[in-house]
Amino acid sequence: MDNGTSNSASENETITLKSCDGIEFHIDARIANRYTLLNNWNGGESACIPNVNGKVLEKVLEWCEHHINDPQLNCGDDDSRRRNTIIEEWDENFLSCDQDMLFEIILAANYLEIKPLLDLGCKTVANMMKSKSPEEIRSAFNIDNDYTPEEEEQFRKENEWAEDY
Amino acid sequence: MPSKIFTGDMPELMESILNNLNNEFNSLYSCALVSRHWCKISIPILWQDPFSFRKSSLFISKYFSSLDEDEKFVLKECGINTESSKTLFDYAQFIKVLEISRLERKVQEWIEFQLARSIPIYLSPQLFQALIHIIESQEQLKQFSLVGEEYPAKFHGIISALDSQKNSLQEVIIERCYYNKEFEVMTNCKNLETLRMRYFFDYSELLNVLNDKISTLEIVDFQINASTIVQILKKSGIRLQRLKLDSKTEIMEESLLLETLKSFCPNIIYLNISLINISTQLLELIGNLQKLQFLTLGDSGDTLEEELKIRVMQFAEILPLTLQYLDLRFSWLVLYIDILLNHCNAPLKKLFIDRLDSEKDAKELIEFCRRNRTLNYVGVTYSNMNEYIRKNIETYFTLVPCERIIVNC
Repeated sequence: MDNGTSNSASENETITLKSCDGIEFHIDARIANRYTLLNNWNGGESACIPNVNGKVLEKVLEWCEHHINDPQLNCGDDDSRRRNTIIEEWDENFLSCDQDMLFEIILAANYLEIKPLLDLGCKTVANMMKSKSPEEIRSAFNIDNDYTPEEEEQFRKENEWAEDY
Repeated sequence: MPSKIFTGDMPELMESILNNLNNEFNSLYSCALVSRHWCKISIPILWQDPFSFRKSSLFISKYFSSLDEDEKFVLKECGINTESSKTLFDYAQFIKVLEISRLERKVQEWIEFQLARSIPIYLSPQLFQALIHIIESQEQLKQFSLVGEEYPAKFHGIISALDSQKNSLQEVIIERCYYNKEFEVMTNCKNLETLRMRYFFDYSELLNVLNDKISTLEIVDFQINASTIVQILKKSGIRLQRLKLDSKTEIMEESLLLETLKSFCPNIIYLNISLINISTQLLELIGNLQKLQFLTLGDSGDTLEEELKIRVMQFAEILPLTLQYLDLRFSWLVLYIDILLNHCNAPLKKLFIDRLDSEKDAKELIEFCRRNRTLNYVGVTYSNMNEYIRKNIETYFTLVPCERIIVNC
């Protein structure tokens, strides 16, 4: 099917990827064609993807496989002002995993330059922060408050206009 | 242990996450209070477009406080006194979006709040001078918007001041204005990508002076003549990705428009034409746009019934396999939605139609979903389905009011 995705590999072609903990995955070559970095680790006994373990790579590849026929966006449009936090149902279910796995998927997508998955992961985390108080966010993501009371007070004064609970 | 995304090791990822909250002022405020590192990333996003914050104008005092002494002096000349205390950040430097009418409104609200009474702001020469200083004081303005209240033709140097932003400016929105020589400054804006002109009279003058390619062009006017825009379409060529032409009457010389788009602009992903004939030439153009994802078409319906049925079939068959959004609310093609769905192979995810009140159309939509498996939302202006059919439909797709579907393009 010519859907403008510029995949030159055929449906039957497969390539082999190995995670950093030695787990092998045989995937549709069209996936690797879409994401150049995956292609770099194609085949070879010694070629394994550093920094991404089997559990995470499996999830990343599951996502890539599901979206294999999506049109490739090359809008050159990374304008944050146009962004929104709407996520499609399949993707939402896909990322309903534990928080550690979600962050690992984001790190892997960033490392492997799989931008649509990276954007999706970032949107998911942003949605987790929506309408929460600073304390709730700290507790959700295990962050320590390192403001001095004076700094915090001055910051609140200067930006209280945006506070609207 | 917090993820390394949040502790300062990967600020670019943290920024990508928080950028998704760009219009959620309250959430960004909370994020900024989480820790110092979170503050450093959140504040530039919180302050990139504060003028769009509807609930308060209190930020104006902090915005003015963070301006340089020169700008503060000019504001004082206009009777606007600013605080002299040092702020934690130079908030003014984070502004990316400046809409002059919103700035005026917010300043007026703020002054009225300070004085606890209503005062009109007159557009005095000093105030124009203050606006010019404010524009020139910005460091990374990306979007500039000028909405004329009464079709102004003189801008007293405000537009010329954009020369100071020529390296950062990406988007310009001009509404209800007349063209004058000041707009020539836009020829220096080398990164200008998006131009939206709504009831901007003599817009062709501006299009003629622009040297560079643009990727998004929007023109809203009572009447649009294709001959006035072909030059910019040819110049933009493969860079043009989004085109919106919204007119009250059919586009004049539409054949010229279609020929130009077909020959020069193959990379369009978003096409929105409010009133155009469903001609063979239009169908050829759409068939050629192999990256098209969003299509909105309106037509006058001046086609005979039998001919229209054939056009609907041809239209459905040529839709590119990249198309995800199809909006036919303002098209007569929707009268034959059954034919359209039967012949459509495009992987539509979202379809907009004016109304859904016949069982026959509902069945066609369900059949399309079974065959195609991509459609997940149908936006309607009006729907009067009985409960049984509605429930049946909703196992295949979600029926929502059109305005609930966001076309992010």
